Amino acid sequence: MTITLTVNREERIFSGDPRTPLVDVLRDHLRMTGTKAVCREGFCGACMVHVDGAPMASCLLPVGSLDGAAVTTIEGVATLEHLNAVQQAFEDHDVVQCGMCFPGMVMTMSRLFQTNTSPDRDEIKAAMTGNICRCTGYERIVDALMSIRTNEVTS
Amino acid sequence: MDITPYPKLFLANDLNEALRALRELADSAIPLAGATWVMRAPLRCETADRTLIDLSRIEALRTINIDQQEAVIGALATHEQIANALNGYNDLAALAQAAGHSANPAIRRMATIGGNICTAEFAAADLVPALLALDARLEIEGLDGSRTQTMAAFLEGRATRAHTDLVTRLIIPRTQRTSTHARLTLRKAGDYPVANLSVSLALGAGGKISAATVAVGAVEAVAKRWTGFEEAIIGHAPSPEKMQMIAKTCLEEFDGRDATDAPGWYRLRVLPGLVANAFSTLQETTLGRAI
Repeated sequence: MTITLTVNREERIFSGDPRTPLVDVLRDHLRMTGTKAVCREGFCGACMVHVDGAPMASCLLPVGSLDGAAVTTIEGVATLEHLNAVQQAFEDHDVVQCGMCFPGMVMTMSRLFQTNTSPDRDEIKAAMTGNICRCTGYERIVDALMSIRTNEVTS
Repeated sequence: MDITPYPKLFLANDLNEALRALRELADSAIPLAGATWVMRAPLRCETADRTLIDLSRIEALRTINIDQQEAVIGALATHEQIANALNGYNDLAALAQAAGHSANPAIRRMATIGGNICTAEFAAADLVPALLALDARLEIEGLDGSRTQTMAAFLEGRATRAHTDLVTRLIIPRTQRTSTHARLTLRKAGDYPVANLSVSLALGAGGKISAATVAVGAVEAVAKRWTGFEEAIIGHAPSPEKMQMIAKTCLEEFDGRDATDAPGWYRLRVLPGLVANAFSTLQETTLGRAI
């Protein structure tokens, strides 16, 4: 079965088992390894991507269901020269430790700032419920996100 | 050699296509709704090489309509959709809260009400006790026609039902009652509940309980009504402390389920506290204003 996706604004074709999770298509077939496969249960958030604009756990998405969808991965949210506001805040506040959860954090939180003009700490924590970090204890991540002014969010 | 005309994931364009595929492929196929349970089959060491009959293109199964008589929810409505659509309806609050607090935001964006109630192996579903407490009926479609069934009857035969029929809609009667849902997780959020509970109440003279429907999930393998507790609280004021005391005397109806997240005795031990939480929520919200 052949599936056509738009990944980071480029058309991509996958030919294989349509039940394959999107995360494996991204990592193993398209070599986009920024999206992490960790729990494979939809609980940790490390595999978060945007599908047609919404943050989704790519470990739970069979690629065959996504024919024609637009997918944005961590590689597509910004350029190395111009990080988006969430990425920049994480770097400025030095919150990244092992880094495994951060691609997913960026995908979830970038979307939050697009839909909520001024999230408070509780709203940030509620949105972060599905993104688990085993290093930081979260508070510095929330501090970094609270520093963002919504007009800084570029994508 | 694979001689089936279906690919390993078949995108059904309408209900008839899905039903035909399910009948032709029988046990070698499974319906795919939100995918959050089916895609985790490898983690449960399930190795069956089944064709997925993807229902996601059947738009008619996504609609939610609420009028003064009933709320009708398509089986493919997601938890997120349901939480948003039912927000502000006191009688439907149990389902809105159950849908709005289950799992985590990404799962709620994918997981459907149909998938939640049809997955017999998932004891900790939040929507099932809510639907029991709200007296929901299911509409089930097959190639031979459609029928409706109560939630209780559906749950009784769920483990052995063939997947040749599909649950298409949930129909919930509107009432003057108020309702709520409570759940206990071992972590603060993003976890399955070790016990959950939905309450739907009617108040009579003096603010005393005149009718109650209470359902409990996750404690046993299948959610069920807590009939002894329902009867015992009639005529009492709905104070959290009183309700908790009564709950402690009605636990013999349950045989707690042992599982890796919690032993059966623990699920029973926390149930009265969960009752207190539910009635506190009711007092803080709708019930406080009604009394």
